Formats: sequence, C-alpha cells, structure tokens
Amino acid sequence: MRPGPAHGDALFETIFSRLTRQTSREGEGAELYERRGTVLEISEDEEGTGLLVSHERGFALRLFRSGRSAFGAATPESAEFLIEEVRESIPRSRARRGARAAPPVSGDPQTNLPAATPALPEEEPGREILAAFRRYVTAVGEGTAVLSAASVSLGERSERVATTAGRDAAWASRAASLVATVVGRSGADRFSAQVVAAAARPEEIPLARLARYAVDRAVLPLLGRPLDSARRDLLLDAHVAAHVVGRLAPLFLGDEGAALLEARTRDSRDPFGSAAVTLVDDAGVSGGPVRTLRDGEGTPQGRHVVVERGIPALRLSDSAVAARHGAASTGNAVRRAWSEPPLLGVTNFFVDPAGGVAPLQLLSGTVRGLYAAVLLERPWVDVAADRFRLSVAGYTLEKGRASGRVSEAVVSGRISEFLRRIETVGDDLRFVSGAGGGVGSPTLYVPRWKSD
Amino acid sequence: MLRADLELAEDADDAVRIVSGLLRRGDHGEAFRERRTAVSWSASEAGLLTPSVSEERGTAVRIRSDGGALLFAREGNGPESLREVVRDASRRAGGAPFLKARPAAPRRGGGAPAAMAEEETALLSSALARALPDPRGLSLELTVSRVSVTRAVITSRSFFPCGTSVRLLATGLVRRTAGTRPFAFQSAAPYPAAVHALALALKAAARPVAATPAPDGPVDVVLAPAAASVFWHEVVGHPLEAEGGARHSALARVAHAAVAPPGLDVTDDPLLPHLPGSYGYDDEGIPARRVSLIENGRVHGFLTDRRTGGDESNGHGRASDYRRPPRPRLSNLTVAPGNSPLEELLERCATGLLVHEIAAGSLEPESGRFLLLVASAESIRRGRTGAPVSPFALSGDALSALRELDQARGDTALPAEGLGLCMKGGEAVPVGGVSPAILLRALRASAGRS
Repeated sequence: MRPGPAHGDALFETIFSRLTRQTSREGEGAELYERRGTVLEISEDEEGTGLLVSHERGFALRLFRSGRSAFGAATPESAEFLIEEVRESIPRSRARRGARAAPPVSGDPQTNLPAATPALPEEEPGREILAAFRRYVTAVGEGTAVLSAASVSLGERSERVATTAGRDAAWASRAASLVATVVGRSGADRFSAQVVAAAARPEEIPLARLARYAVDRAVLPLLGRPLDSARRDLLLDAHVAAHVVGRLAPLFLGDEGAALLEARTRDSRDPFGSAAVTLVDDAGVSGGPVRTLRDGEGTPQGRHVVVERGIPALRLSDSAVAARHGAASTGNAVRRAWSEPPLLGVTNFFVDPAGGVAPLQLLSGTVRGLYAAVLLERPWVDVAADRFRLSVAGYTLEKGRASGRVSEAVVSGRISEFLRRIETVGDDLRFVSGAGGGVGSPTLYVPRWKSD
Repeated sequence: MLRADLELAEDADDAVRIVSGLLRRGDHGEAFRERRTAVSWSASEAGLLTPSVSEERGTAVRIRSDGGALLFAREGNGPESLREVVRDASRRAGGAPFLKARPAAPRRGGGAPAAMAEEETALLSSALARALPDPRGLSLELTVSRVSVTRAVITSRSFFPCGTSVRLLATGLVRRTAGTRPFAFQSAAPYPAAVHALALALKAAARPVAATPAPDGPVDVVLAPAAASVFWHEVVGHPLEAEGGARHSALARVAHAAVAPPGLDVTDDPLLPHLPGSYGYDDEGIPARRVSLIENGRVHGFLTDRRTGGDESNGHGRASDYRRPPRPRLSNLTVAPGNSPLEELLERCATGLLVHEIAAGSLEPESGRFLLLVASAESIRRGRTGAPVSPFALSGDALSALRELDQARGDTALPAEGLGLCMKGGEAVPVGGVSPAILLRALRASAGRS
C-alpha cells in the first residue's frame, strides 16, 4: 500500500515507506498514526491574566504479528527510531485469552486530506466567552456568588492513520472548554465550586446554564438545609444525570462489560431500564463535546443505539472487538493522547431526549419531591455491586413548586432499580465530559424514590 | 549528570543567550525543556499482556509581566524547538528576533524509548503472579509504567538541570463480583523495591471486599501512616498552596493562629530522596526548599511559585508537563513521629475505626470541608482491632479536624508508598508523604462509598 499525498512535511510518508518495506519482509501488519494540534488558552484569576499557546505533534505505531501487538509513540525528533523499538517488544507480547490482537484495518483510502497543520484559534472569541460568563455569574449570583477564576481553552486538531492493509484516512476536529471557580458567600461562611464545560465549538458552550449550575453549587451548601432520605419524587437535573449516565458507559464497551450487563438484566430476562430510557452513542450529535468524522483507528463514526426503550441492543466496538465477532467496528477506538494506545471508549454517550417533555412539565407532576440541582461530590456508581450514591444539593418540591433550598441530600439505592423506575425524561439534553468522551442526559423523573 | 540531562544541556550557553534576548526590561521568565519516556505494560489477572514504549519531548517559554503571564509550547526539546517557541513568543510580544532557522536533526540521545529489559519484565511478571496467586473470581485491568522525566530550566542568566526522576506507576480497576475498586500506585524507590511494593499493594487491593458495613455518623478514627499522609496532604497541604482561591482557604484565613495541638509540625520537603515528590530545582529554576506549613500547632507558611511569591518564591512552582504553566504545588509532606505505639492509639480511641488505606481525597478550600474515600479499614472495639469493614467515606472540616487531633502520635513515621498522583485542576504531579499514625476525633463516616 502506498500512502496518499504528502501531508505537510514528508515525515509521515518516510516512516510509512520504511514500515511497509520492513513489515512485508517480516510478515507483520502495521498502523501509523499522526496527530497535530494547537491549543489557545486564556485565563483570568486574582493574580492576573494568562495566555497559553501550545503546538503538539506526535507519531504512534502499532505492529501486529500472529495475534500479538505492541505499541510505541514519539515526537518527530525521534519518530524514525520507533519501528525498531516496537519490533523488539513484540515477542514478549501476549494476548488475553480469547482476545487476540486483530490485524490492522483496511479500506477507504482518502485522496483529499485536510490541511496538515491546524490553524491557531483566534483570541477574541475566547475573551468574549470569559466576559459573557462573568456577566452571567454576576446576574445569577445576585451578590451571593462571584467568579474567582476562569479559563477558556480552544483547540484545533488534525489526525491521520495509515495501515499496511490499505487504510489511509485523515480528518480534522475542534474543541472548546471552560473551567471556572465560583465562590459563594453567606455571612462569614464561604464555599467554592469548580465547574467544567466542554463543547465541539466555542459558541456551543452553554454559558447561561453553566453559570446557574456554578452558582447553585457554590451557594446551596451555604443557604440550604440538609434533607433526610424519606420517600420522594425525584427530579435529577440534566447535569447530575449526565454524570450517572457516564458511569454506565463501560457496560456497553466490547466484551468486558458484557457479563456484568447480563448479570444486571438476568441474561436479558429483565430490562436494563424503563421504556423511557434509550441510550445512544453519537459522534455528531448537536451539543456534544466530541464531533469527529473518524475514530482513533480511522473508522468512520456514526450514531449507535445501545439501549432501545430499556432493552440492550448493541455493543460498541473497535477493530479488535469487531474482528472477534466478525462484525464491523462501530468506530469507538479512542486515543486520549497520541502517546497512548487507542482504547475502547465512547464519543457522545447519552440518554436520548426524543419524546421527552419540558422540565417545567416534569416539575408540575411532583407532589412531594427533591430537585437534585447539583452534585456535591463525584457520584459513586458500582454496577458490579448494583449500588449508587449521589451527594446532591437542590430544592424541595411541594405540589409542583420549589419550596425550599437543600444544602445536602443523599440519593442512593440499587442502580438497576433506579434505571427501571425512570418514568419520564426531559427534552433538555446536556453534556459533560466523562468516560473518555462526552456523556449526556436530559432531566430525569423518578416518582416516589426511597434512598437507603 | 545522566545522559538525558546532558542531552538537554548540549546547547546551554546558546540557550541562555536566546532567553536573555527574549526578555524585555521589567519582564521575568524562563524556558523549560522536558523529555518524558514511559515503558508500559497492560496487564490482566493472567499477567502481563501488551508492551508499549513512548517518548515525548517538549519546550516552553514563559514570560511574566505586570500581572500577565504568557506561555508558548512546542514539541521537541532541541535547539531548533527553543528558537521556534522564542519566535512565537516574540511575535506575540510585538518583537521580531532574528533567529536563523536550522533543520532539526533526528535525535536519539539519552536513550530512545527502549523497551524494558528482559530481567526487569520477568521481575514485574513474577511480582504480579505473587500478588494474585489465585485470580479466580477476579478481573484485573491494569497499566503498569516505568516513567522517566528529565527537565531543565533556562533563565536569562543560567541553565538549571532539574534532574531525572524515575517512578513506577500502576493504575486500573480490580473487579470482583461484589464490586469494582480503582487501583492506583506509585513509587520512586529503586526498581526492585518498587515492584515489591506494587505486589503488596495489589495483593491488598485484590482481597475480597469486607461485608461488614462501616458505621454511619460521627466516629473516632486512627489513621495508619499511609492513610495519615493522605489526610495531611488534603487538609493541610492544599489549603496552604498560595494560589487564587486557595489564598483565602480556611487555613490561610487564620495564618499564625494555633489550629492544632502544640508540638505538631507539618513540613513540605522536596529534598527527601526516594520519595516521589522530590526534586532539586523546581520547574522555574528555583532551588528546592523545605517549608514549614504548621509549626508547633500554628499555621506558619505557604507554598509559593514565582507568580505568587515573585523573587521570594520558595521553590514549589511545579508543572504537570511542558505545556502547562507551573503552579504552587506540594511535594512531600512530612510529620515527625511521636512516642505512642499503635496499641496506645487504639486504646485511646476505644471505639472507632482503624483506617489502613485511603483511595482518594478532596478538599473544598474556602470552607475547609474535606472528603476521604476509605478503601481498607478495621473496626476498633475496646481498644482492639476487630472485623474489616467495607469501603466508606470520611468527611469533616479542616479546622475542626485539626482541633480534635489527639496529641498522641505514633512512634514510627513511614513513607506512604502507595500515595498516588496529586490531581489539581486536571494537572497531575507526583507527591509523597511521611507520617506516623494519628488519632482523629468526631469525623463523619458515610457507609457505602468507595
């Protein structure tokens, strides 16, 4: 196989030519990956302002021989030496029982490759985001909360994969994120909260919603009162629910989670969730932090329904898992960094809000309830033990109205039961970063939930 | 100097001249070079599986002036990469230095990302087998890496080789039918000792989860040395990192006040060899220095970098990698031993919990509220240890916890071999700790957490 047209300088082509010659001699297969990226970050805190500009470029190589594989990665200065280093490792490689490494993927050589070096994002949109977010926090905080630090990061990336089996694919993507610390004050008491939002485009960061969430995180622990764990109608805010959904993702990745999923559904005799729960992985969904055309192995990505109306429907795969099952990869090989081997992961993994209702409509249906507006700690969800526990703050609900602030409440129980008792979902899909990609959910309504 | 250090210093004089030419009157700044290699194995309960090697080189230039900070970073750590980042920085600052471009030559100095030697792999493999003699009912997803990081700082006056640190890291998941627990380990000890410590940690993590639930509510706890190191790190260390909101942390607001029993000293010491957080120069070229945070029970000092401390920085500017700016960060927190054997602490506790391992912790700086996730503990009844209890969370606020700290401390201070990487704002730096066992009163336990 000959690589496509030269992509910037000819280093990729040089390494790949050597690779092709050497691997055909040794009866090996190989995959060469290159990533180039630029990041512009603007930050403000009490010490002053900061501007960060970063360029990166790296190569990664995977060699395959008789069901074994080995990986190596290097920056351009030493990339030419990679082949020998990785080849030395292969004889010591072993495959997990029943999980031999698949040969490199083939198919769809591209002739029109995007620009090799991504452009540096402009500063102005970043500064506008910071200014707008500050205005939102000031307006929502009403004197009880202030923004103490914030940074916005804008990134552009180009990637390329070529294999000795004939694949040559290149694609580009963008990303934006906002990290902010908000401090709430009440008398002498203070509480701070750090919030993070990620989106595929800077204009898609939900600034107003994030400001509301940040202020609630910083203020509710100071102004509210603890709530007991009596039986209540439960409304999980979309942000809170998204974190829980993210903890479910490993169940649908490759073969690892299969046994666990079968145990939770008693070999498919029980549903995974209620009929309101449809779980989707979609690399192109609007509002999702990930928007890419291809995965880390160059496989085209799409929309995959993994749970349809409560019933498991599909498992997500990369080329190795797909080859074991004689199926096509769903395009879920994720490279967290160019220097790490691709892993099976999600793109944007979420509860489908199709058929959902407005959150206000969900609220109107509550009799005596809790609106879990924010998470106070990272959620604990152990699918193996079938338990979950969320420490949240929010509002008590009486006959469809908020009746008081809650500084701390625990929502806990069996995760399988919780999923089966979701009665209705909202239409307000929101994403957070998690599970190696984006995880999302609309507001979830669970009537008469009793935490243990 | 090691070969990797020499490689970064090969153009030292030129590099100092270039950095000196970049900085204008009133500006402060430096260049930073890094080479990071990792030799890793994926591992399962059946042993080592897939090997990988990686090498990353990078250069950054940082400029500080009048409350503003600039950082420009690029891949590569040779002379040409330095020239490129200086060109980037000069363009942004409005200047245009004449630095002739030269093609970058391929480099293999300091040892390319060479695979682990055969005997080292064998040692690791047998350690895993020892840790998991009977892996039935157990599923392990682990990545074990030997990471080597070499750094250098170039100021307008000098070239500072920060040295090379080598650590053994392991992260992953241990799954049993009854539950899943995260596993994290690191050690800066020599390789054979680090591998031995990894085997012990993995063996402990693979034990079946205890069925006895921890009590819910107020509880007295004895923290074993490894767990006590995590407590000091979260409750004393982070609130005294002089940065942004942390400047107003619950502890910082009571500077010089007595917050703990007399006689208690808590010190951050980056100069202790064989602890993961040690270094000779920080990532801004300031010599590492011991800093007393709590002295005789009183809040005494802060950890500073150049941005927060200016020329008075006490050498705690640490960067997670060359792309990120340095921030004031902890290194190794040490607490001197007392003279009470563990049995005496258990007796003083009478009824409570003996905590062996804390898997993770966090602290909200403004209020001082903290949360420690306990992975391994035993109950204490009538001053004696009893049944192991299942994972739970301990919470409290920093000032109350320090006030309620029992004056008696264990008679042996031990390094926390398994203390993991410290994450702050998504940026990880290696840290260590040495502490004796301690007795804390009236923390709050919440069962059902891990």
